[in-house]
Amino acid sequence: MRSLTLDHASFWYPATASPALRDVSLEVVQGEVVALVGALGAGASTLLLVAADLAPRVIGGRLAGTVARRDRSGIVLPTPWTQASGMAFTVWDEVAFGPANLGWPAHEIARHVDRALERLELVPLASRDPVTLSGGELQRVIIAAILAMDPGLVLFDEPAAELDAEGARTLWRLIRLLAKEGKAVLLATSALDAIPDVADRVVWLEDGAVRAVGTPDLLAGLAVCDAGLGTSVATVWRASGLPEPYPLTVAHAVHRWR
Amino acid sequence: MSIRLLALIPVAAAISLALSAAVDAVALPLFLDTTGTILATALAGPGVGIATGVVTSAVNTLRNPTFWPFVVVQIIVALYAWAAARAGLFRSFRTAVPAGLGLGVIASVTSTPISYLVFGCTTTGGIALTTALGKALGLPPLGACFFGSFVSDFGDKAVTFALVTSVLHALPRRTAARFPWALRAIGAA
Amino acid sequence: MTGGRLHPFTLLAIAGALPALAWILPAPSGGLAMATIALGLAASRGLRPGLWPAVLTAAPFWLFLLLLHDVPTTIASGLRITTMVASFVWLVATLEPARLVEAMIAAGWSASIAYLLAATLSAVPVLKARARRIVEAQRCRGLSPRGGIAARLRALRALALPLVLSALHEVDERALALETRGLVPGIRRTPLAPPPDSAVEQAARWALLLACLAALARRFIVPRFL
Repeated sequence: MRSLTLDHASFWYPATASPALRDVSLEVVQGEVVALVGALGAGASTLLLVAADLAPRVIGGRLAGTVARRDRSGIVLPTPWTQASGMAFTVWDEVAFGPANLGWPAHEIARHVDRALERLELVPLASRDPVTLSGGELQRVIIAAILAMDPGLVLFDEPAAELDAEGARTLWRLIRLLAKEGKAVLLATSALDAIPDVADRVVWLEDGAVRAVGTPDLLAGLAVCDAGLGTSVATVWRASGLPEPYPLTVAHAVHRWR
Repeated sequence: MSIRLLALIPVAAAISLALSAAVDAVALPLFLDTTGTILATALAGPGVGIATGVVTSAVNTLRNPTFWPFVVVQIIVALYAWAAARAGLFRSFRTAVPAGLGLGVIASVTSTPISYLVFGCTTTGGIALTTALGKALGLPPLGACFFGSFVSDFGDKAVTFALVTSVLHALPRRTAARFPWALRAIGAA
Repeated sequence: MTGGRLHPFTLLAIAGALPALAWILPAPSGGLAMATIALGLAASRGLRPGLWPAVLTAAPFWLFLLLLHDVPTTIASGLRITTMVASFVWLVATLEPARLVEAMIAAGWSASIAYLLAATLSAVPVLKARARRIVEAQRCRGLSPRGGIAARLRALRALALPLVLSALHEVDERALALETRGLVPGIRRTPLAPPPDSAVEQAARWALLLACLAALARRFIVPRFL
């Protein structure tokens, strides 16, 4: 079942002549993880804002084309500090902020919050004040806060930016779990090596337009590596002068060698 | 009120409070506690400006309880800034600084009765001392009090107006366009 | 240890009524009574967090009052100011922001208003820390707070501009985050932990208000009829 459909969507930021998104058509179905890759400024963040119904509604600007959403969406933005509500003095309250705003009854809120805290391994931090947390811890709190609202469409903009390797691994596992539970996930990330294990499909954005769509094997393609968006293994393989097709992951490389 | 303007108010109020704490780093006898109020008004109009002024006073009061009677001054500042923004007076220092001086006069006229009735003109050490000077010069009590407030307010409001002008001009066009009043305030709309 | 479990509105009512009564009741006995109560409350929070800041903040006022006015005026004003200072010191030491936010939500206040106060309280330390970092960075670049007025004004601009611009840039991100977490105008937010409000406390708050009004009437209105 389609959760998000963009049909020839173009978006211009306010007082800007050139579009940040150009004629983008994209579908994300429930139970699927779609990864957006692209250079800085390619439009991945903008695309997520449009998908989240935040552009142009909250930030202004102009949208052409259509965007159809089936479920409530939640978006995790890259900078944790600006996403803290400012109104919660414990981690538990911070995660409960969203559900409380939705007007859910108290026992429902407690259920969702406790579950979200468990999934993000935040239970030991539940009574800490968010201002005392590190960037990585706060980012996990924000993710929990979004998940506690039980969105059908979950959007991530560079969610692993503040996380250490262990935290990132937990996050990727969680994202796959979300898809398994039937949520639709759209994820913009520069952690290219993680994508083969996390994403079902990859969308390559360039200058606001879709350049290519495919499975994660896309990240081992010649053109992608040329653009600096290949996985580490593919990039190294290519730089060593070894022939195509480039392997996507270490496992693939080992298989090729044998 | 849109969510963006709602998000602006605490930031603007915090700007006022952070700047007034940081100003001793430059060793200038300024308050700068209306910076956020004036900026918020120039960006988003009088409603947002007044809300910013009230919130600034409320939070300032928690730090120093003697601030709360001056919430009236913050509101007057927001209204004056609104008039200045409508007239595009933030378009250059040449127009902004005199406007700030004008606000200095109005602000001290507004704060003098409060200072006199509530604090007997001892609102701050500086005001108390300048009031004493005024008294020594033979001014009547209210006049001496006005003298005390005026001397500190005059420069403070002019500098604040100049700062807000700098900020408005330094905003990228894309950002300024998203605030309803910003372009008008700098005479670019 | 007074006031810890009182409803936040009761705390606000007391902290508001004491200075109001100090002004309305005839000086100096009214002021003395209120100041004593206020200082007592401040002291009940402990010497360091309560009484000491109250005394330290109030002391300069006494000094300057003496400089400008005669002794009776100094005592009258000094007691009033001391009441105000001590009440607020007690309030700040006793009132928990989280409880106040919850009390406002439970009482039906718009979540937006609660947000304004709470978010400002959270944002101030962040911006202050940023200002300190900017000052340090500017010092390393040779910007000195010494020198003539022009140099200091330039230093101020070099401090204020980056601080304000970065804060404004964040406004958009904060708006996006609030929107996605559902804090939009017009919502009915579920209270998470509403502080209990007993009938006794509600009655006490009304009584305080009536006491202030009665004192006001007695002082200003009644003499006209006598």
